[in-house]
Amino acid sequence: MSLHTAQHTDTAAVESATTTTRDWLIMAAAAIIAVIALYAVFMDNGTVVSATGDYLHEFSHDGRHLFGAPCH
Amino acid sequence: MSTPVLPLLGRGLAAGGVAGLAAGLFSLLLAEPLMDRAIRLEEARSAAEDHSHGAAATAVQHHEELFSRSTQHFGLVVTAVVAGLALGVLFALAYALVHRRTGLGERPWPRALAFGAAAFVAVSLLPGLRYPANPPGVGDSGTVANRQSLWLAAVVIGVLGMVLAWQVYVRLADRSVPVRHVAVAVTAVATLAVLFALPGNPDEVPVAATLLWDFRMLSLASHAVLWAVFAGVFGALGLRAEARTAPAAAPVAA
Repeated sequence: MSLHTAQHTDTAAVESATTTTRDWLIMAAAAIIAVIALYAVFMDNGTVVSATGDYLHEFSHDGRHLFGAPCH
Repeated sequence: MSTPVLPLLGRGLAAGGVAGLAAGLFSLLLAEPLMDRAIRLEEARSAAEDHSHGAAATAVQHHEELFSRSTQHFGLVVTAVVAGLALGVLFALAYALVHRRTGLGERPWPRALAFGAAAFVAVSLLPGLRYPANPPGVGDSGTVANRQSLWLAAVVIGVLGMVLAWQVYVRLADRSVPVRHVAVAVTAVATLAVLFALPGNPDEVPVAATLLWDFRMLSLASHAVLWAVFAGVFGALGLRAEARTAPAAAPVAA
């Protein structure tokens, strides 16, 4: 997309102004996914997502200890 | 002219993946031997406890292992990469929000370094000083929900503290630079004081002091590697994007 704006400067200037709202929404959606991912690796103990049991917890066990996330 | 927001997201993901991998490999090489040692000591300790408490205690096995240690080693790197990608996305969003009025593409290198340093202080250093990392063998599963709330609170307070520091810096725009820098430092120290008003970690730490110290230093070092690599890659990608768009405006005249 940066290539696109670089090559068609005139139309891109207009376009980027109109697509900004959409871009911010994509950003926000990505941020929500990021928070869920962080929850999965650092917090999940199988209590909220019961299907995961202790698997996520044990798989990311060393990472949790290392990055200071509370672990059993 | 507005600069598109989305390329920042791409830069955050790319820098986050590289930084997560770097921090994961760094800790795989340096911290894993320590964690393996801590786990062997934990097993020896619980075996000794079982011995003194008789057969009843042996029946309640502390944990049955779902994964081998080598799978957990691999899990460490995966965890670091996932965390790097996710933090990269959040970093890009915060970066875009903070700089939305002044042009997102401006001064990419110094901004990435300053923002990376702020992120390190907010989510790594401040929460890490209040609730330092503990090696395997420390941590009571009965208090884990409580400790998670405290840790989350510490991260949130750390982030709010940095937002406040930034606001203080912006609002003192008519003062001299030393005054502004001192105000930022005072805000950071005040945030640390607030963090220490939170209740302490309730668990006892039955680990040798040298092992504990080494582990905590390596934990902090892994955080530092993550944010340093992240800021460097994010800033370099910003510079590359700047170099690519700048000539596009000029050749029209030539």
